[in-house]
Amino acid sequence: MTGAKAEPSSPAANPQDLSAGANPQGSSAAANPQDAAAAPALALEATGLAAGYGGREVLQDVSLTLAPGEGLCLIGHNGAGKSTLLRVLFGLHRPAAGEIKVFGRKLAAHTPAALGAAGVALVPEGRGVFPDLTVLEIFGLALWSAGVPKGERAARIDDVLELLPRIKEFTKRTAGTLSGGQQQMVSIARALLTRPKVLLLDEPSIGLAPKLFQDLIEPIARLRAERGVAILLVEQNVREAFAVSDRVIVMRSGQMIFEGAPAELSDHTKLMELF
Amino acid sequence: MLFVQLLLGGVQNGALYALTAAGFALIFGATKVFHVAHGSAFTLAGYVFLYGWTHNWNSLLSSLAAVAVAVAFGVGMERLVYRPIQRHEGSFFTVFVAAFGVSIVVQNLVGVFAGRGFASIDTPLSNASEVLPELFLADVFWVAILVALVMFVALTLFLSRTNAGVALRALAQNPDLLRAYGLSSSRLSMLAFALGSALVAPAAILTAMTTGLNEAVGNHVMLLSMASTIVGGVGSLRGAALAGLLLGVAESVVLVFLETQWASAASFLVLFGFILFKPSGMFGAAVAK
Repeated sequence: MTGAKAEPSSPAANPQDLSAGANPQGSSAAANPQDAAAAPALALEATGLAAGYGGREVLQDVSLTLAPGEGLCLIGHNGAGKSTLLRVLFGLHRPAAGEIKVFGRKLAAHTPAALGAAGVALVPEGRGVFPDLTVLEIFGLALWSAGVPKGERAARIDDVLELLPRIKEFTKRTAGTLSGGQQQMVSIARALLTRPKVLLLDEPSIGLAPKLFQDLIEPIARLRAERGVAILLVEQNVREAFAVSDRVIVMRSGQMIFEGAPAELSDHTKLMELF
Repeated sequence: MLFVQLLLGGVQNGALYALTAAGFALIFGATKVFHVAHGSAFTLAGYVFLYGWTHNWNSLLSSLAAVAVAVAFGVGMERLVYRPIQRHEGSFFTVFVAAFGVSIVVQNLVGVFAGRGFASIDTPLSNASEVLPELFLADVFWVAILVALVMFVALTLFLSRTNAGVALRALAQNPDLLRAYGLSSSRLSMLAFALGSALVAPAAILTAMTTGLNEAVGNHVMLLSMASTIVGGVGSLRGAALAGLLLGVAESVVLVFLETQWASAASFLVLFGFILFKPSGMFGAAVAK
């Protein structure tokens, strides 16, 4: 049933080519994201996004950029519009206004399949796994939907298991029998199988102990540093999230109210003011 | 020997019910659409096979035409009836009424074009012979068992060993999440309808060869499919298939004690028994109060 598979739609972007647009130093592009003359096209560029549910406006005139290899953290209280912004960026929710470019190009159809083909992956909020499928079935589904050739699938899985070796212990178990941390690990691994150049993570720390979250963040930081994957992290767990971020955006009531370096928010009072 | 004769007849009918029930359970499990018009696919497939057979088509061609019509009907319902209703966030009741309406239209159209009353065909497979004293069995008995087994094993392998099959199981669990994987839940829904509807075709063909068809046969099939899904446990294909078999046997064996008109009531006695004493069905998850 090939009809259900994602149609590759981005000849410009090759998700298998991790070096394309990647920054071996990990954060230098992030250090000067405005340096457009030297840097390659922005990994993500959203301009004037507005979105809502029914008549309720959730996002208002939101613009953001994410450079290749950059770590960007999006924080804000519940209902600030962070998750909606990620859903819009990943094509899961249609914006009422605005434009999104991926690696400098507006996709013909801004759908999850097209974004996947362009090298963008999303780790959704909650546990992004199917409880009755085994871990290997979930991986197989991800590889199939990304159109990865059969001969390459085992190598992709090995690659991800090298990054998240603990998954090897439970590849044959159904996801529903795993702990929250293990499920989140599988969800992240699933997204990494497509070898994304941009990884969107929606509150991966929810329901996890701080130590577990640190264990999850560490390979993500490594991925950024070693492979130049751009990270857009929506998180409530500010301290750990800042550790992998070059830039922070604070949202309130669907609008961006602060954008700057994490160091600028190191003063706890200022952070509390913004929240 | 009467009991054994009825038991074997029940197994034969039950094997066919198992196929239709598995088709209904597949559609409902994957898409959560209560496809009340499932029985109409059975009616259409059966009458198309009858038409082909009586017009001297090759039996394979007649069978393929029956499968094609069942699949086209199922996919057409998904595309033209259910999806527009879902797009407008129609309720479960809207879906139910729409499907019920379509099944009445199909029943009347079949009555108009194929005539009302029973129609059946006589094939070499339909002729019973005495295998033991007072025990008669036609080859169609073995064909029904074999076809049901092969189809069920094929379906199980499809769902467990192929990417599309795994995606259908994923669709049943979380269609929204499937979109985050870059898969189209609407295309997978269409696949579920195509497969679920295809499963009724062999049952319809074999019914045309045995008990025969009438324009209202789909109603009985539909009720049995729904009952089997509940008795087997909502969400369990294996449960639906086994329940179909159980209801087929129950309908037949009850004739040892009661008149023919009570046959269908036996199925629903089993259904009520499960609803009262084991509402989660044979293989279903526990039902929340």
